[in-house]
Amino acid sequence: MPLNHLLPTRRRFLAQSGLGFGSVALASMLQDEARAAAAVANPLALRPSLFMPKAKSVIWLFMTGAPSQVDTWDYKPELQKRHGQPLPGSDAKTGFFTTSGKILKSPFEWKQHGQSGSWVSGIFPHLSRHVDKMAFIHSMHLQANNHAPASMELMCGSNQPGRPAAGAWLTYGLGAENQNLPAYVVMHERRPRGDDQIWSAGFLPKTFQALALDARRGGVIDNLDRSQSQTQAQQRGTLDLLREMNQQHAQSRSPQTDLAARINSFELAYRMQTAAPEAMDIASESEATKKLYGVDNKTCEVFAKQCLTARRLVERGVRFVQIFAGKNAGGDGAVDDVPWDGHSNIETNHRSCGAATDQPAAALLEDLEARGLLDETLVIWGGEFGRTSDSQGSVGRDHNPNGFTIWMAGGGVKGGVHHGATDEFGYRAVENKVHVNDLHATLLHLMGLDHEKLTFRHNGRDYRLTDLGGKVITEVLA
Amino acid sequence: MLLRHFYTALFLAGLASRAFSADTNDQLAFFESKIRPVLAQNCFECHSAQAQQNKKLKAGLLLDSKAGVLHGGETGPALVAGKPADSLLMKVLRHEIKGAEMPPKGALRSGVIADFAKWIEMGAADPRSGAAPVVEHKRVIDVKSGQGWWAFRPLAAPALPKVKNNAWIQTPVDAFILAQQEAKGVAPNSLAAKEQLLRRATFDLTGLAPTAEEQAAFLQDSSADAYERLVDRLLASKHYGERWGRHWLDVVRFAESNGYEFDAFRAGAYHYRDWVIDALNADMPYDQFIRMQLAGDKLMPGELDGARAVGFLVAGPYPGQITAKTREKIRYDQIDDMVSTIGSGMLGVSMGCVRCHDHKFDPLPQKDYYGIAAALATTVHSPEKIDLKHAETQKLLVRHHAAAAPLLAALKQYETHELPKRLAAWKRDDMPKLAASTPWQVFDVQSATAQKARLTSDRDGHVIYLGNKEKDDTYTIKVVTYQKGIRAFRLDALSDPTLPNKGPGLSDNGNFVLGDVKIIARPLDKQNKTKPVTLDLAAGTVTFEQKRFEFAQAVDNSPNTGWGVAPKMSKDHAATFEVEGDAAGFDGGTEFEVQLRFSGFFGLGNLRLAFAQEAKTALTAETDMQSLRELQSMPAAATADALVTRWFARIDPQAKKLLASIAEHEKKRPQPLLTEVYTTKQGGEDVYFLRRGEVDRKEGKANPDFIQVLMRNGSADKWTGTPKPKEQPKHPRIALGDWMTDAHSGGGPLLARVIANRVWRFHFGRGIVATPNDLGTQGTPPTHPELLEHLAERLVAQGWKLKPLHREIMLSATYMQSGAMNEGNQRVDPDNQLWWYRPARRLEAEAIRDALLQLGGRLDPAMHGPSITDVASPRRSVYLRVKRSELVPFLTMFDAPEPTQSIGDRGNTTVPTQALTVMNSPFVRDMAARFATRIKAAKPEQTIAQAFLLAFCRQPTPAETQRLTAYLQAQQQLGAKSPEIELCLALLSLNEFIYVD
Repeated sequence: MPLNHLLPTRRRFLAQSGLGFGSVALASMLQDEARAAAAVANPLALRPSLFMPKAKSVIWLFMTGAPSQVDTWDYKPELQKRHGQPLPGSDAKTGFFTTSGKILKSPFEWKQHGQSGSWVSGIFPHLSRHVDKMAFIHSMHLQANNHAPASMELMCGSNQPGRPAAGAWLTYGLGAENQNLPAYVVMHERRPRGDDQIWSAGFLPKTFQALALDARRGGVIDNLDRSQSQTQAQQRGTLDLLREMNQQHAQSRSPQTDLAARINSFELAYRMQTAAPEAMDIASESEATKKLYGVDNKTCEVFAKQCLTARRLVERGVRFVQIFAGKNAGGDGAVDDVPWDGHSNIETNHRSCGAATDQPAAALLEDLEARGLLDETLVIWGGEFGRTSDSQGSVGRDHNPNGFTIWMAGGGVKGGVHHGATDEFGYRAVENKVHVNDLHATLLHLMGLDHEKLTFRHNGRDYRLTDLGGKVITEVLA
Repeated sequence: MLLRHFYTALFLAGLASRAFSADTNDQLAFFESKIRPVLAQNCFECHSAQAQQNKKLKAGLLLDSKAGVLHGGETGPALVAGKPADSLLMKVLRHEIKGAEMPPKGALRSGVIADFAKWIEMGAADPRSGAAPVVEHKRVIDVKSGQGWWAFRPLAAPALPKVKNNAWIQTPVDAFILAQQEAKGVAPNSLAAKEQLLRRATFDLTGLAPTAEEQAAFLQDSSADAYERLVDRLLASKHYGERWGRHWLDVVRFAESNGYEFDAFRAGAYHYRDWVIDALNADMPYDQFIRMQLAGDKLMPGELDGARAVGFLVAGPYPGQITAKTREKIRYDQIDDMVSTIGSGMLGVSMGCVRCHDHKFDPLPQKDYYGIAAALATTVHSPEKIDLKHAETQKLLVRHHAAAAPLLAALKQYETHELPKRLAAWKRDDMPKLAASTPWQVFDVQSATAQKARLTSDRDGHVIYLGNKEKDDTYTIKVVTYQKGIRAFRLDALSDPTLPNKGPGLSDNGNFVLGDVKIIARPLDKQNKTKPVTLDLAAGTVTFEQKRFEFAQAVDNSPNTGWGVAPKMSKDHAATFEVEGDAAGFDGGTEFEVQLRFSGFFGLGNLRLAFAQEAKTALTAETDMQSLRELQSMPAAATADALVTRWFARIDPQAKKLLASIAEHEKKRPQPLLTEVYTTKQGGEDVYFLRRGEVDRKEGKANPDFIQVLMRNGSADKWTGTPKPKEQPKHPRIALGDWMTDAHSGGGPLLARVIANRVWRFHFGRGIVATPNDLGTQGTPPTHPELLEHLAERLVAQGWKLKPLHREIMLSATYMQSGAMNEGNQRVDPDNQLWWYRPARRLEAEAIRDALLQLGGRLDPAMHGPSITDVASPRRSVYLRVKRSELVPFLTMFDAPEPTQSIGDRGNTTVPTQALTVMNSPFVRDMAARFATRIKAAKPEQTIAQAFLLAFCRQPTPAETQRLTAYLQAQQQLGAKSPEIELCLALLSLNEFIYVD
């Protein structure tokens, strides 16, 4: 059915439900009237994917501050051999500071792991056991060379602020599986550079904005707890009153869906008061599980709790969970909000960051798999860019957006594959280069969405997460 | 022979790459062995005649002929012979252009890429014949036909349509609305109840609820024009500017911080917000409102209003950390932010798209974008100190200068007649008595400033710290001497009873840490073209050095290490620096810029600089006076100038007196009342036309120009003007404003349509064009085109004043309708496109917060001023700080937008977190508790009635009173400490509270 015939009624619904006129595009994406109607009555209503999705949820482990590709997953023997020699083609302007142009070898011990024989540096004793679950993309690249804009570029597809993040797009496209919980949750310790612009709903309706949980505050949701001076029975009494009076109010007026939506939202909020604390209560996990994640280990306790919470959330149908790795355990001088930012000493920095994240991330993969959730949960690991192959100062590395590694596991991803490559020094992506648009196209594809069809009209333009680019990386699909 | 002949032909055809040099055999051999095979293997699949035949040709580029290479594809020639750095081919091979990395399968080996660079460097010898491709023409924008689009036409005054139900008509607005309703068989609703009208109009114009007194006054006023007078009263309220100013702040992406990496706060940005509020309250004509925002700084130079108005231009985000790689891109992003906001916010066209290519749908060529960008080119962000009483200060300054004239005349008199005599006498009689007892000569200090600290200097060469201690400060002290052959410098760190522990440092124990010293020597004489030199310094001798803070660390080029004197504080210290290499000093005098970098909070409180002409000079006590040698070395021509007087004043009482009288007068100089305004500053560089918007693909300088379809006379000259000799050319931003507000042949008609539509949108919740930021072909067509035309035309005809426009809209029967249901109408027009009823509209975030404060009796009506960081403040929400990374959660939850791009139509979402906030947040409960104390009466029905009056502006129905009385009882039985608080909280949670009828 051509879209235009549907438009008038649709437009009213869309405008009133806060989806706005941009959602005409959403309606077209949803293809038929019934789906569109469901979407407009409740913007977070579950919407079927366009085609069979491989994954239902995403857990994105954001390695804040940017790990070095050549010290983690991208082994370069040439770097080891030519330590201290000039780096061919080095560009001193690559990073934030100025680099020396001299090759800095990786200070870590490298070994091959798994059936795939994937090379992993010694900082990941736990994750290295799972390489056969991972699809490595070694040829990631983007434009920005500082934390905030690069993080925006990685999450929103553009390094100018104001664009919606991938999690917001996904929620806009698919709705929520569990109406009693937020669909898009972000966990952080210190707020990463760029703050909520990295998990912004941008110009999308606020319905799709992330709920951010600050680990320093025990991950609480604001206003979730009832006031001390009110009992549950009292609150129930009030909600009954509200429903009655709101219904009377609506009946005497011309029909407006947002009035009805607001009546529902109080009931939803009421249920969320119980559902959210339950979802985040890691105390109810078994001792063995807690131990697996490393909750008992001071070095990785914070990240462990976050990973475990993430599993509980996706288990309960949360669509998109993102964890920003917080303060590193060793603390070698990198700033808390960019722990992996090894400008001064890559060895001490990366060892401590590895120790703070390795066990929990590995446990997450193991736990998801054991519970049969890994098939429908896409786990992504990576930072906002990579680091230079030449040294900054004596033993540190500067920012490098021209080549870095991200891996994905679970949810429709082929394990043990290595896609794309950097040059022999790991300095620039050269083979099968993957732009963030491509990564996003692949992510949407795995979730059952077509990145060219997921659009939203804003200020006269149909925007996409993948802007004008994006190519699904078929090589990593299972 | 044949080959040569062929090359001659190519040359004559103008295709030879390097003038007057034919390709040599070597070069051709290089092509054949290194280039041709690579092209064939990697490129021809998509870039050859064969590919064209197979419909696989990409980017219109043929690489299988020399002509094809030189002609290039869609994005221009593939190479510039002799210039690999400028050649597109090299950029794509090196993967420097996003989206055009070639070959797409992966980069060639670096050696091969180097071969290409060498080949181009040598002149790109290429023996291949064959045709250039015929590139398909892109859509050509036809400006003439583009001018036919409804929004781009000249303004017309449409005739009022004829209607049947003339009795319903209140203002011309109604005729346009009713005509369409009658055509579709829809009847308008009757008037809303008086209480509803009061609540509607009051929230609409002021963002606040009517107070009990206002309710009483209006409801008791039964005169025919009661409502009209209500509207006039509200339009005159100072809260009008706060309410409608906030609407405008959405449109202009207003925020008070940089965004990006560290989101630095812009302390002076609030002035723009206050200007908007004031301008609207004063009903500043909208054309002037626009001109001021584009060029207030140029229209009213130095004045507060001019500086605050252009806060518009600099309200967008700006990266705090700029690297060499991103500098140029950020500069263009900055201009893009301005162009896009002007486009979407003022003109309702999406200019943002046009940065990279001609608009795909609207008649906006890329040229238009770069024309406006060029008009904005030399405008950069800057916190400027602006005089709050500029005009008065200027007047006082004139008087001050007049009063100084006799003093200056006396000095002049002295310098011409007295000085030579007295100087000669002194040289003859007194000079011989003074012997130079020390090699050290104290410098004459010209200026002493610091990044943060405030410094002063005195006649004896002391530099003294006054205040504002900050971390890692750098002092910059400029000193002069006419002597040459300087071999050593000396820094005295002097103890001083006013300093902590008598100094000489600023730290609590009197210590300092001098991290680094840098001295730059510049010739004083303008004729001397010698370049400034940074002196190479070595540590000399020192009075004392602290353990691990040795003196050598002050000259190690590392500011993190430095010289300190602990534990020997409270006394004078000194250190000398040797000049390495050639001695310093220029013919005609030298200015030394001495930069002292301190580490941490360890600055110096009192210091003095001196020099010596011998190296390895010991630290001896210096004389107080500068040596005679200085005088002798002064150029003869300068003997009567101010410098000599200044110097001679140390000796001659008359000179001293004259200078003192001038200094005394200067103390009375009228001081400006400075405030920091985040505004514009002249700066930046020219703007270039960028192919595909990419900063490394510049294609010639862009000149100020405007949107072609909105220039009825076809050229921008009318507004940019032709500069007359000796006259300052018109500033391009002034021209931009003149063009945009020109209602006859410029952007005025569109500007008027856009704002008329916005005004309608904020009164009704939906614009006549439902996409207020886009009146182009991609926007929604107007529901009532003639009504919009009428409103725009009236606006211009009434001198661009907005208040009459509000009046005409609000006094219309259309606006005053009820929201009642009508099933017949509902069937015909369920979307209310015809405006047959007034929908209940949810208050915006700010109005919800303000109304809560108001009911709680907490609202502070103070206006203006620096933004408020405490969200618990009782000030109106428009005054809360808008920091991009820390937006106020309460406001964003209720759809306050992200201030990154122009927002014409806020969302209106309903999410459970809003309900959680209303149910559980301490803020809302606190307001409910305060509200309860205001309404609690002896009897429950009185309490309920009073609460309804304040919250909903009406009496409860008997059924409601009954239901709520029962609720109060039930809450009491359930153990509520104050059932009234629960009642108030419930009323605040109701749809009726935040949905205004």
